[in-house]
Amino acid sequence: MSDPITPVLTKRWLSPNSWRLSTYEQLEGYTAVRKALRGTPEQLVSLIKEAGLRGRGGAGFPAGVKWGFMPKDEEKPHYLVINADEGEPGTCKDIPLMMADPHSLIEGCIISAYAMRAHRCFIYVRGEVLHCMRRLSAAVSEAYEAGYLGSDILGSGFDLDITVHAGAGAYICGEETALLDSLEGRRGEPRLKPPFPAASGLYAQPTTVNNVETIATVPFIVNGGVDWFRAMGTEKSPGPKIYSISGHVEHPGQYEAPLGTTLRELLDLAGGMKDGIPLKFWTPGGSSTPLFTAEHLDVPLDFEGAAEAGSMLGTTALMIFNETVSVPWAVMKWTQFYRHESCGKCTPCREGTYWLAQILERMVDGRGTEEDIETLLDVCDNVLGRSFCALGDGAVSPITSGIQYFRSEFLELCRQNATSSAASSGGDAQSALVGAQS
Amino acid sequence: MGMFDPIKGFGVTFSTMFKKVVTEQYPEEFHPTAPRYRARHQLNRHPDGLEKCVGCELCAWACPADAIFVEGGDNTEEERYSPGERYGKDYQINYLRCIGCGLCVEACPTRSLTMINFYELADDDRRKLIYTKEDLMAPLLPGMEEPPHPMRLGDDEQDYYTYGPELERDRSGKDEEALQ
Amino acid sequence: MTIAPEEQQTQVPEGHVKLTIDGQEVIAPEGELVIRTAERIGTVIPRFCDHPLLDPAGACRQCLVEVEVNGRAMPKPQASCTIAVADGMVVQTQKSSEVANKAQEGVMELLLINHPLDCPICDKGGECPLQNQAMAHGRATSRFVDTKRTFPKPLSISSQVLLDRERCVQCQRCTRFSEQIAGDPFIEMLERGPSQQVGTAETSDIVDSASHTSAGEPFQSYFSGNTIQICPVGALTSAEYRFRSRPFDLVSAPSVCEHCAAGCAQRTDFRRGKVMRRLAGEDPEVNEEWDCDKGRFAFRYAAARDRIRKPLVRDSGDGVLREASWTEALRVTSEALLGARAGAGVGVLSGGRLTVEDAYAYAKFARVALGTNDIDFRARAHSDEELEFLTGRVLGTSPGSAVSYADIEKAPAVLCVAFEPEEESPIVFLRLRKSARDRGTRVFHIGQWATPAVRKTFGELLTCAPGAEAAVLDGIAEHASDLDEALRTDGALVLVGERAAEVPGLFAAVDSLVRRTGARAAWVPRRAGERGSLDAGAAPTLLPGGIRYDDERARNELESLWGLEGGALPARRGRDTAGMLAAAARGELDALVVGGVDPDDLPDPEGALRALRAAGFVLSIEMRPSPVTELADVVLPIAPADEKSGSYLNWEGRSRGFEVTLAGTGALPDCRLLDTLAVEMDVDLFTQTPAAAAADLAKVCELRGSTATGQPVEAGSSARRELGTGQVWLATWRELIDNASLQVDEPYLAGTARRAVLRLSPATAQRFGIERGKPASVHTELGTLTLPAELTDMPDDVVWVPARSPVSVRSALGAGHGAAVGLAAASTEGDRG
Repeated sequence: MSDPITPVLTKRWLSPNSWRLSTYEQLEGYTAVRKALRGTPEQLVSLIKEAGLRGRGGAGFPAGVKWGFMPKDEEKPHYLVINADEGEPGTCKDIPLMMADPHSLIEGCIISAYAMRAHRCFIYVRGEVLHCMRRLSAAVSEAYEAGYLGSDILGSGFDLDITVHAGAGAYICGEETALLDSLEGRRGEPRLKPPFPAASGLYAQPTTVNNVETIATVPFIVNGGVDWFRAMGTEKSPGPKIYSISGHVEHPGQYEAPLGTTLRELLDLAGGMKDGIPLKFWTPGGSSTPLFTAEHLDVPLDFEGAAEAGSMLGTTALMIFNETVSVPWAVMKWTQFYRHESCGKCTPCREGTYWLAQILERMVDGRGTEEDIETLLDVCDNVLGRSFCALGDGAVSPITSGIQYFRSEFLELCRQNATSSAASSGGDAQSALVGAQS
Repeated sequence: MGMFDPIKGFGVTFSTMFKKVVTEQYPEEFHPTAPRYRARHQLNRHPDGLEKCVGCELCAWACPADAIFVEGGDNTEEERYSPGERYGKDYQINYLRCIGCGLCVEACPTRSLTMINFYELADDDRRKLIYTKEDLMAPLLPGMEEPPHPMRLGDDEQDYYTYGPELERDRSGKDEEALQ
Repeated sequence: MTIAPEEQQTQVPEGHVKLTIDGQEVIAPEGELVIRTAERIGTVIPRFCDHPLLDPAGACRQCLVEVEVNGRAMPKPQASCTIAVADGMVVQTQKSSEVANKAQEGVMELLLINHPLDCPICDKGGECPLQNQAMAHGRATSRFVDTKRTFPKPLSISSQVLLDRERCVQCQRCTRFSEQIAGDPFIEMLERGPSQQVGTAETSDIVDSASHTSAGEPFQSYFSGNTIQICPVGALTSAEYRFRSRPFDLVSAPSVCEHCAAGCAQRTDFRRGKVMRRLAGEDPEVNEEWDCDKGRFAFRYAAARDRIRKPLVRDSGDGVLREASWTEALRVTSEALLGARAGAGVGVLSGGRLTVEDAYAYAKFARVALGTNDIDFRARAHSDEELEFLTGRVLGTSPGSAVSYADIEKAPAVLCVAFEPEEESPIVFLRLRKSARDRGTRVFHIGQWATPAVRKTFGELLTCAPGAEAAVLDGIAEHASDLDEALRTDGALVLVGERAAEVPGLFAAVDSLVRRTGARAAWVPRRAGERGSLDAGAAPTLLPGGIRYDDERARNELESLWGLEGGALPARRGRDTAGMLAAAARGELDALVVGGVDPDDLPDPEGALRALRAAGFVLSIEMRPSPVTELADVVLPIAPADEKSGSYLNWEGRSRGFEVTLAGTGALPDCRLLDTLAVEMDVDLFTQTPAAAAADLAKVCELRGSTATGQPVEAGSSARRELGTGQVWLATWRELIDNASLQVDEPYLAGTARRAVLRLSPATAQRFGIERGKPASVHTELGTLTLPAELTDMPDDVVWVPARSPVSVRSALGAGHGAAVGLAAASTEGDRG
């Protein structure tokens, strides 16, 4: 694993005008699509299955298997939807990818759409990133002009239209079914599953929702083949991955490395901890994944490795915090984010985040008590696995893991409170009233 | 039979003749009750005169004798009887049925209903023993104003429940000072 | 898992699965939700968002249970309201699983953290699922010491429905009901996360939220009251019932709605002799769990201040109605009626709101006490053709033998002819929508414009000029092969409304259409009593029990059954409503007995009043003052539906019996009143009580079995129809909420009536120089009716106005559906006719 890392997904990023079609074509662009369109959809699906490409959006579901769920006939229109609503705190891989190399995504879209017999592809881009929308839209029109999109692509008889759609700034719309709702023009709320999108997704038609990075990887697999792809990463999590490293490192940014790379290796790439202040805690995949500490520096960052160590790979958004950062404070900020972004559909997430945020705010403000820590954990337990979608699960992971590794820090805040003021608030009256509810 | 036997029976009479009389000359002489004696009900007011009763009927619910009738009403901005949305539009206690158990007072969520010392609940007309809201409302103390009127102590009912008791304590403190 | 003491292999029927709930083996139909299966075996899993008639949402998470499928435990507790049963599934509810129990308690606590302590002032207090659940499963104390979410309250989302957002648990039952069941998606969830709230476009304007929009429509729905009833907390409350009483004050009685022919089961709640509210009752075969707003909110007419409670007799001296004793009133009446019977005769207009028992009393009273067949229940436009159709196809039918709600749900195609389901029979409309939404039933409407009902039943509209409906039906085979095909499929239905009587030839056309295609026809009248009156014989050609007036043998049998002399029953065909009124106006009838008839509904209101004036004696049997009582010589008060028992026949022919709700008011049902009056006239009706009347009628029905004859209907004569210059065809029908007499004193209900407009096509508007939103008027020689104009996609040279909102088209114009009327732009809205 100590080999020098050869960039794959990011190899064109530093080329001048990397986002232009001409640059892309010079650098092997649109070669995979020619190859793919000569094959059959079934061949493509089995190629991706064999390559073991796993979804890069967080859950790590095998992409080939997902494509295989699509009906084989074309009785109903099929849709491919690209989830470019990158909203997970700390995550910054899809937007740079679409900024620097939009055509790799478009090429991936063509191949994937062909594989799942879709003639319509929607790219749902996070509404806040207007610059990215512009660049992607320009790239799509370039591709149309060059005949890579539209009808009868490259004389293969395959038609595909791509629509770039802007979200309106809701974290929940990164959840695939909420994204579909939003795309249909409704309020973004996760849908009941089953039916799964492959059976009844966008406009109740068979739909596959994939992450940008997943789809952008596809052309490389088509060109490089299964063995080349499997040479990178681990047995169960093969391939390259873009790690977004942010926080207290010397050179934050996107680092491409095979799956299974450890933070120690990535920190070397990023120039080490900023100003040499030691690492305190970090997230392996955005704020929705449980925290890691300095003892997890050597955890292989692939789907299995992260899970074994008690967290999740998520979006490989590595937020690095050094010893100057208070864990309760960071956890509070994240919880406030989840409170703001909860869609409101289900009780645990809507009310749970509201409550958790208030307790944490109170604690950070020095008005917490030791019982509050137990309350926090119990409320987290009542939210985890009880909510409608995974947002609720994600919302509590920083709190539970934060308390797991840094309980003393929470306790310290409460002790300060206990010594500074002995008087309790009017909380007793409140609880008595609620208890009398009849 | 002894010779004194016929008058023996008067022993108690004679001995009692010279003791202090315990008979109360009610109603000619009125004896106040113990201060915390609970008799007739009263519907209390907030310090500004608004009614505490919200017409929730919990008293009627609690009443084992079915002596209480309540009907709620809707406060409007123009015509306000209590803080908040709801007030007791109609309130009647039938003292022919009331057994004085006080469960209604325990049930009252706003401390509107309490019992006062007044115990002269007898009449020769059954109808007069059905006390209506007018009969039951607490008298207006200084600083109180007969509803309907807007909320004087705050913007919403929360202010009344939060600060009302405090205001009341302050005032009763002042009253005591005045008395002294 | 416990080991069963004896090895017993239960057979799983086809389409069923076997699963285990809390260690108990259950067999459940495939696709059933776990929450319902558990309920069947007596385990109630708490829930808020789940409702058996709404699509599953899984929003509240209160019903979490532990589930094991194929021997593999699911990693998270599952919402039992969204998960369907599967073979071999093992479910552990709160009863057997600590995890499920903790999950439910946790959700309960979360629901309560932001719930205000409003229970004492909340209308739901005492009957609140949240309250009950909090008492049953909640913690005794709260750990939540922070700030609760607050909203200003209450917010009025329509004149009937008030919203308290603090109390809302966001279960989305109301929004899902509006969208799925009623098809009026005017309320929606706004905002997100903890600020999520129910609202309308209007309320979002008020709260100035990010979802701000002013393009939306206010919450106008005929079914909004249901949202109040299904709200599991006190977030949606009724403006009418606000703070009126508590559940424990109320006595609940099952009742049947008296407003329309749908026959909804209801629950009437009253307190100390006064009806406080009405709720939809549960009857899966009729109204499921729904009710329209008219049925739910319009009940105060019975408590109206001006209700007549004592007999009134017109003073011979000053000609003013004065209160009189029953003895006097009955004596005066019987003398007058006996005199009229000996003279030119008496006509009976019984009205369309009678129970079967009351209608039977009227029918028997006319035949036995008055010796006439001059009786008609139709207080509206009517025709002989209609009566023929009713005799041939409707009489004596019942859900077993004819069309029922269940048939609508199963039908592959339904054709609505001269029938506006949402306005005329809202529950039929809900069924049409349900079958169209769930099963893809094709609903066809023949009408003038795409009414909301057409849209909400995913319907297809065949437009025609009013009056040309018969021609459209006749042309279906030729011009609409698609519809023809659909009507030929098994189970196809044709629903005909009361308006068909206004179009000559339409009933005959329906008759021949169903003969040709094999579709089944059903008649859906508007009023609750019409169907029952038909079967009870309150019609000029039909005696009780479906006996035709000219069937001498049957008549003789009836005579002996009723204990009359041979030949005592009149053999002459009776006159219909219009015939009687005309005869009275000409002096050919000496007296009229008028039940609940509003002259404004009659084809010729002016003529009706003339007839009432001309008649020597008018007996009005009424509840409240009306134009009839004003002209009556004697007014006898009768009981409203709440104060009597009886039964209605709904449009299916289903008997909808109900008991007395408010007992001891002293108000008499019509049958009792007529019985007493008959005794005064020396005749016995044997209808002292509704039960006696029903028993008597049952005996009559046994004579001939009261069945439809199935005879073909002959088209009524139709005059040549042509438009004069400046004239257009008038289309009109009643709306659900209008100025009808049973909707008095209901300001909250009236607030959700549809805006009264005059509809016409853009081309017609242009031709007459009428602008959108500006007043336009239709006129005849009798008068003018002015309403704001609305441009609608409809045939040219047609104008549509609502029949009774704000005023009666009949009394204003003396014209009805299919008439030619003048049209003009009106300068001001003041010169309304």
